[in-house]
Amino acid sequence: MDRMEIFINTVKIVVIFLMMIQVVPLLVWVERRGSAFIQHRFGPNRVGPLGLLQLLADAVKFINKEEFVPAASNRVLFYLAPILALLPGMLAVLAIPFSTPFGIPSFEFMGSSYGPYTLQVQGAEIPLGIIYIFGVSSLAAYPVLLAGWASSNKYSLMGGLRASAQTISYELGLGMSVVGVMMLYGTFHLNDMIAAQEGLLAFRFFGNEINLPFLPNWGIFFQPIGFILFFVCIFAESNRLPFDLPEAEAELVAGFHTEYSGFKMLMFYIGEYGHMIVGSALVVIFYFGGYHIPYVSEAGLTSFVSQYFTGEYLVPFLVSFIYLHVFILKLALFLWIFVWVRWSLPRFRYDQLMSLGWKTLLPWSIFNMILTTVFIYAANAA
Amino acid sequence: MLSSIGEIGLNHYLILSAALFCIGMFGVLMRKNALVILMSIELMLNAVNISFVAFSRYQNNLDGFVMVFFVMAVAAAEAAVGLALAVAIFKRFREINIRFFEHLKG
Amino acid sequence: MTEAISFYLIQFIILASALAVVLVPNPIYSAISLAVSMTGIAALFFSLEAYFIAGVQLVVYAGAVMVLFVMVVMLFDLKKEKRAFSRGTLSRVLKTTLSVLIFSMIAGALSMSFSELGSGDSIAKEDITRSIKELSALLYTKYVFAFEALAILLVMVIVGAIALAKAKGGTHAK
Repeated sequence: MDRMEIFINTVKIVVIFLMMIQVVPLLVWVERRGSAFIQHRFGPNRVGPLGLLQLLADAVKFINKEEFVPAASNRVLFYLAPILALLPGMLAVLAIPFSTPFGIPSFEFMGSSYGPYTLQVQGAEIPLGIIYIFGVSSLAAYPVLLAGWASSNKYSLMGGLRASAQTISYELGLGMSVVGVMMLYGTFHLNDMIAAQEGLLAFRFFGNEINLPFLPNWGIFFQPIGFILFFVCIFAESNRLPFDLPEAEAELVAGFHTEYSGFKMLMFYIGEYGHMIVGSALVVIFYFGGYHIPYVSEAGLTSFVSQYFTGEYLVPFLVSFIYLHVFILKLALFLWIFVWVRWSLPRFRYDQLMSLGWKTLLPWSIFNMILTTVFIYAANAA
Repeated sequence: MLSSIGEIGLNHYLILSAALFCIGMFGVLMRKNALVILMSIELMLNAVNISFVAFSRYQNNLDGFVMVFFVMAVAAAEAAVGLALAVAIFKRFREINIRFFEHLKG
Repeated sequence: MTEAISFYLIQFIILASALAVVLVPNPIYSAISLAVSMTGIAALFFSLEAYFIAGVQLVVYAGAVMVLFVMVVMLFDLKKEKRAFSRGTLSRVLKTTLSVLIFSMIAGALSMSFSELGSGDSIAKEDITRSIKELSALLYTKYVFAFEALAILLVMVIVGAIALAKAKGGTHAK
């Protein structure tokens, strides 16, 4: 661990954080244009091509808004809550592997030489990545709760209490639905999970090898129930529409961020979109093969790239570059599904939400766990 | 006590654990708010967890980890019951300071 | 050296927030600093390479138990707390002395018994997934009875907590 490595890691963490922040205005644009598309409207289309510069106009507006703090509020917590809202998403994104690692050749810089490195396209290669991500994102209940309480507004408080109860309840279903995935791949390591999904569908059944070469070897074919449960739970975790009870504007004005305006409001948005990004990335990693291209193995891609380019370091870099874009493409697809669902489905009632979480998702995820155990036993039984 | 500043050994973790335990004990003795007393008890339980994990890691023995699981489960159970009791008390007395419900005091 | 720096940093965070829990009169700040302390302890477990325990600590303590505490404190809305600390100079001095005394006794005993051992013991680095496998094997073989008892305890607690929270005051109902 020399100085250069520390420097590279620091830069990487900052870059990933900035990436997460920069995706948010784009997502806001997609959300507005997408909702307009779904509702047969035009949406923002005046500023710049396709309304893309609307993002800049929005940013200027957010910064110039009046700084408003309710008189009866608790000032410290009122300012602390939006800052905390950034944390869970930011910390969780660090553990997500975006692509394959590639090497950096040794080089001379400022008179001293630095050895060859292997650069992970990932904030930090954290052991037990899943557990880390769940642990960090379970902290997401605090900012909402604090924001609701510190505003000293009844609607805010109710929104905050609803949000935290919802987050705690759905975390159970979320955790239990992933147990099947962990048992299937036999690891907690996100990179190992992606590596296990390379190639074509093949599994063992009572000791016989069964190959289905017309399908990729993705988790969704092994865990269909788990996928549905997980996908429903991440909607609830990120407080998005069918489950956006904390900010149900028909009943609670705007829920926990009623009293927030300008940039503080934007920070809550960034937190929410951070949750969406992490959730979509986890869906891609668990169930849709991570950065792998269906029907193309890593060796195949490497040989394809080396037909046109040569170089010990260039080829892995290009492979990693292609994989990064595949991952981002899959991620974008799921982020679009988030937007699509938001503008298509009506909101649940609060008691319906709770009974869905506790009486439907949790028992089904336990059932999925037992089913997976039986299948794993059947696969390895002679 | 701190044999060498640069290296961290088992004793550092144990002393941290002891300090945390004593802070928790101080809170239980000094505070009069039932909720804060519950929180101090959680602190003491966590102090014990630190020493379990440290011992387990330095002795290369996994029994300590299992104990941490049990402590965590019991602590969560204790918090749930304690908070339910606190809510029940608050409903009846509109107060959570333990000085205000000393009816059983002889 | 990096290990020492991270240890002292984490230790400082844990102890400072733990002190804030007991010394700050407003219970809402106590609850939040306890959450910070729990997160710090999770970081400490992480640095001890007990990754699984660290994750469970975050999910169970920082993510669930402390959220419950914060929720209950917020529901009570205790803004002005009367008599947060125990009264009487004598009792305060006595309690403080007792706590410090116990800490110094433990620390003294530790420093005496660890004069040679201490830092010489290095942590054996192991494969993490394997250690989780061993952990679960241990949980389901050697400690299986305790595990079952824990399950019964948790069921009892669920029933008890719901009964307590829903109670209308029992025989003394107003």
